[in-house]
Amino acid sequence: MRWATRARTGAAVLAVLGALTLATGCAANNGPVDLANVAPATPPLPGGVQEGQHAVPSTGNAGATPPAQCGDPTASLSPPSSMPTPGQMPAGSTMAKIQARGKLIVGVDQNTYLFGYRNPKHNTLEGFDIDMVKDIEQAIFGSQEPRYVEYKAITSAQRITALTSGQVDMVVRTFTVNCARKQQVAFSAVYYQAQRRLLVENTSSAQSINDMAGKKVCATAGSDSLSQSGPVPVAVNDWSDCLVLLQQGQVDGITTDDTILAGMAAQDPNTKIVGPPIAPEPYGIAMPLHDDDLVRFVNGVLAQVKSSGSWTRSYTTWVGDRLGATPAPPQATYAG
Amino acid sequence: MSVAVGPAAPARKQGTQGQQNGPQGARNQPKPPENLMAGLRRTAKTTPGRLGLIMVGLVVLSLLAGVVGLITVQGRASTLDDLVTSREPFSAAAQQIYRALSDADATQASAFLTSATEPTQLRARYDNDIEAAGAALAVAGSDISGVPGAAKPLSDLAANIPVYTGLVERASANNEQGFPVGSAYLREADNLMQNTLLPAAEKLYEIDSARLSSAQDDATSFPWLAAILTLVLLVALVLAQRYLRRRTNRVLNIGLFVASIAVLVAVLWSAVGMVLESINVDNGQTNGSAQEAVLSRAEIDALKGRTDEMLNLVARGGQDYSGPYATAAKDLGGTDGAGGLLGQARSASGDNTVTSDVDAAINATRSWFDLHNKVTSANQAGDYDTAAGITLGALGAAQNESGTFDKVDGALGQAIKQARVDFTSATNTGSDWLIGLPIGVLVLFVIAAIGATVGIWQRLREYR
Repeated sequence: MRWATRARTGAAVLAVLGALTLATGCAANNGPVDLANVAPATPPLPGGVQEGQHAVPSTGNAGATPPAQCGDPTASLSPPSSMPTPGQMPAGSTMAKIQARGKLIVGVDQNTYLFGYRNPKHNTLEGFDIDMVKDIEQAIFGSQEPRYVEYKAITSAQRITALTSGQVDMVVRTFTVNCARKQQVAFSAVYYQAQRRLLVENTSSAQSINDMAGKKVCATAGSDSLSQSGPVPVAVNDWSDCLVLLQQGQVDGITTDDTILAGMAAQDPNTKIVGPPIAPEPYGIAMPLHDDDLVRFVNGVLAQVKSSGSWTRSYTTWVGDRLGATPAPPQATYAG
Repeated sequence: MSVAVGPAAPARKQGTQGQQNGPQGARNQPKPPENLMAGLRRTAKTTPGRLGLIMVGLVVLSLLAGVVGLITVQGRASTLDDLVTSREPFSAAAQQIYRALSDADATQASAFLTSATEPTQLRARYDNDIEAAGAALAVAGSDISGVPGAAKPLSDLAANIPVYTGLVERASANNEQGFPVGSAYLREADNLMQNTLLPAAEKLYEIDSARLSSAQDDATSFPWLAAILTLVLLVALVLAQRYLRRRTNRVLNIGLFVASIAVLVAVLWSAVGMVLESINVDNGQTNGSAQEAVLSRAEIDALKGRTDEMLNLVARGGQDYSGPYATAAKDLGGTDGAGGLLGQARSASGDNTVTSDVDAAINATRSWFDLHNKVTSANQAGDYDTAAGITLGALGAAQNESGTFDKVDGALGQAIKQARVDFTSATNTGSDWLIGLPIGVLVLFVIAAIGATVGIWQRLREYR
């Protein structure tokens, strides 16, 4: 009898276990097992890219401080009545110090095609800005040999600090003159009149910066091209990084001076410059704040360059017909 | 019912009488545990019962010790085999990935600085590096797929190496047309390399290195279970022989004596074998894999420093790489080239070939540091052409930093090769000491079991 009871209990247990197994088996996931988790591909970014409002750099214009007022920012010091002979700078002047040192130290760019860039074929720097440097070198040393100039490649954000820290004698780097910057550095007379415009892909339907609301627009940190509201600003360290972002489809447009944009369009024929000029961008050569004699000397050199046809030659070489007909050299405004 | 004559007879008679008088269904019931224990106690009270229990116990213990011993020694032998054929080669493959990628990065920067059209040599070197990295990645991936924490670095490497090479090609194409956007692509490629690819390769190498060390630890650990079982067996054999001597007045029981000798031989043989094996595996670690690890880290630091040097030139004042260079250089050779990792490798070296290779690396590193100082002063004086010339080795043999770095790299590579040879030969020697031990241990313990059985059976027979 006991055997029979035991047999019945055993059978009951087996039945319960079997039911449980079946239940878990039915509830088990019959979906396929994915061993490789594939995330969507994210294209790489250049180093130092910053997106969003916090990327808008402060050049004295951002935030609650109102734009500085200084009258006409392009007004500079008048040149000396007679220029010193090359190689014989007036004693005690800033130019004499430069001559005694044996070289002129200039902050430039090596990535802005047409204005300041390193030609890979010869590993030399060339461009419109570099031509201006060579003219100044000629006026101080009487020669355009490379050994009289030391070029320091600096980023947009370093333009002012390089001067205030005394690392360079001057900065010739597509530097727009404005009142805020004039509080920290001294500018020469305007040597090139650029306009801020917009670069987009050929396939884009945007006609001007107003069509870029909510879209990503690139400019370098430290430039004043990003103080627009509307587009999402993307800041980079170097202008050529902006072209990389545009080619990789990570920004929709680039806004900056038409000179820089012309250089980019020359490197990528699938882009176009659109829209009316957004703002004037007068370029000046920046020097330490109280080097008045150097400012006057440089203004004298620039006046000679403009009147001798050298300016037009440089323009034709570098800009050519990319921005329309060759203009006349910009007029210098003096005050003091 | 027969009535037997002799002292044992009444007990048996009672036993059979008891069974006949039990309850009717009692024979059909299985014995509950109390009956089993009572049965055992009854058996143990009689001498033949006790002898039987001792025999069973000794046999079970011998066989158990034999099986455990076999598993332990066999496990050790296969760990050693795994070390030489898998663990160390995979660790070397992981280091190869890092080395190849880092060299590719430095070669690209060098090609960029040299001219618009890449020199054929540099292009070939870059292509070989990418191929080596891809092949080593495939090898490392096949081994490490089950290890948690290795999935992410592996997929990062596999997904991003093609992206990196794509950026390099784009940089090259733009460079050849004289467009400066080419240098922007090169900087983007380097950014990807330094921030994504190289950290992933380093992580992979760390994982493989850790697995190698833990396998070495397994191969030199003390075999606790086998040792305890064998000790218990030896003590049981000794106690059994003493008991037999008291009970049967015979000094020597052949079977148990043979069993004891067999166990002693097994103990001695496995002790000698495993001690010598451990010594050799430790040697393989000290002069082999540990040296390899130090020298690999030294090579990684050398490559990092070289790339930072090149990037300083590419950036040309835009970005300063001198801080990262200083860190890498200090790790590599300390302040004078003979400290840091190189000094560590030299003082730990027990192999003359490795020592001389490390010495060559130290000398070349000293020259490299000197030339780098020259480059720094040229840079600070603004003499870019001299700085680039020294770095690229374009200014003659006396100031050839590129050639000097190649010497450092070459000497380290030789030292790593020799360290690997040392590892393999030491570990194989250790493995040799275990030849025949697994089967031998099992056979000896089976002999012990048989000896115990025979020895006690002979005494048991006298009780019939």
